[in-house]
Amino acid sequence: MPHCQPEQLALAALHETLPADDAAHLASCAQCRSEVAALQRAVDAVAIPELAAPATAVPPPPAVWAAIAAATGVTAAPRSEDSATSVAAAPTPAPVADAASTDGRVLPFRSRRPRLLLVAAAVAAGAAVGAGAVAALNGGDDPELVAAVGLDPLGEESASGRAEVVVREDGSRALQVDLDAPALTDEYYEIWLIEPDVVEMVPLGVLRPGTQTFELPTGIDLEAYPIVDVSVEPLDGDPTHSGVSVARGVLDS
Amino acid sequence: MTSDPGPAPRGAVDPDDAEVGRRFAAGDEQALALAYERWAGQLHGMAVRAFGPGPDAEDVTQQTFIAAWTGRARFRPDQGPLPAWLTGVCRHKIADTWARRDRQRREAEAAVSQAQAAPAGGTTPAVDTAVADRMLVLEELDRLGQPQRGIIELAFFADLTHAQIAERTGIPLGTVKSHIRRTLERLRNRLEVDGAALPA
Repeated sequence: MPHCQPEQLALAALHETLPADDAAHLASCAQCRSEVAALQRAVDAVAIPELAAPATAVPPPPAVWAAIAAATGVTAAPRSEDSATSVAAAPTPAPVADAASTDGRVLPFRSRRPRLLLVAAAVAAGAAVGAGAVAALNGGDDPELVAAVGLDPLGEESASGRAEVVVREDGSRALQVDLDAPALTDEYYEIWLIEPDVVEMVPLGVLRPGTQTFELPTGIDLEAYPIVDVSVEPLDGDPTHSGVSVARGVLDS
Repeated sequence: MTSDPGPAPRGAVDPDDAEVGRRFAAGDEQALALAYERWAGQLHGMAVRAFGPGPDAEDVTQQTFIAAWTGRARFRPDQGPLPAWLTGVCRHKIADTWARRDRQRREAEAAVSQAQAAPAGGTTPAVDTAVADRMLVLEELDRLGQPQRGIIELAFFADLTHAQIAERTGIPLGTVKSHIRRTLERLRNRLEVDGAALPA
């Protein structure tokens, strides 16, 4: 095979997975590998967790604003610092990151540094929908509803729905999902249970708009996998999460 | 709200982020306070992630806002949102702190080796190549226009693949790929010209 296209070498420098024939060529071609290494020097210098997009907000102590005001001569003050002596100072509005980090749509599960960024996404999802979870107990012979959660759209997605955990008479558990979402072509929805730091996840199956029931693996601890996640998967034969989530809820157990 | 005891009138409706950005660029002091209100937590979170809670992180946050305010002429509201720009300034301050620590380490090592009767040839303590590369790359990123800068920042700092970047930005896949290639080549050239030679 001829040498890889320069675009492919640049993607390799970013640690992206190349198509199989490019990857095979790269493995056997010292010239292409050397090109990747040269491009990678800049990537390795800055694509590090310490410089990643803001994740967790930490309020700075009041001395920080005081020093800024002193250095700049600015007399206006942030509301959070207006009454620095008062514990009950007006709450600082939730910090808003740039669009790149608040849009919850794309979660790079396949990436090389997943943990850092996904934690932030999980925290955001938890904050947004955790309160929507309810637990209820029904009597009678019907499947017993033990938990339910609204599936809220992520970012600007139009997918939403509801998921209910039920226990059947024989003690087995199932997840009943009602999904309201546009039909897909060449892609499909998949439903997952994901742990809070969004590293481990259990696929439950292929989902389509409407109501469906998924068997829960016997013994699965829903407290360990509380995030109910709906992803869009390409028909690419890759069984891992695509990283594109469209709706989520967090079971409150 | 007449019950608001705040020292300055703030108007009935808070300005949106874009308005804060425009006022910041125009030198409105209230915009610095609003920017701090909205984004200091995020930026301080980055600093704490890099250095842990304490004086170094506080210094980074403080220097970020001071440098952003004094350098506000370089902020172009039409080139991207203010918080993204502040995040870029914060990256510089984090890299500066690493460089300062590296320099202090080398000076300390040099002092020790001099005190111990330096070996013949007087070896220079190794400059940390990564520390120097980082500053050069961040500096070169500042020189990029849009959409190149936004694209490479999503790849570097949001860890998105080129396909995800295309989807996120609406820029065609092929365009994203060629911007990524050209930007990485530009950064490589900068490092090869101005960076330390890598060990063979």
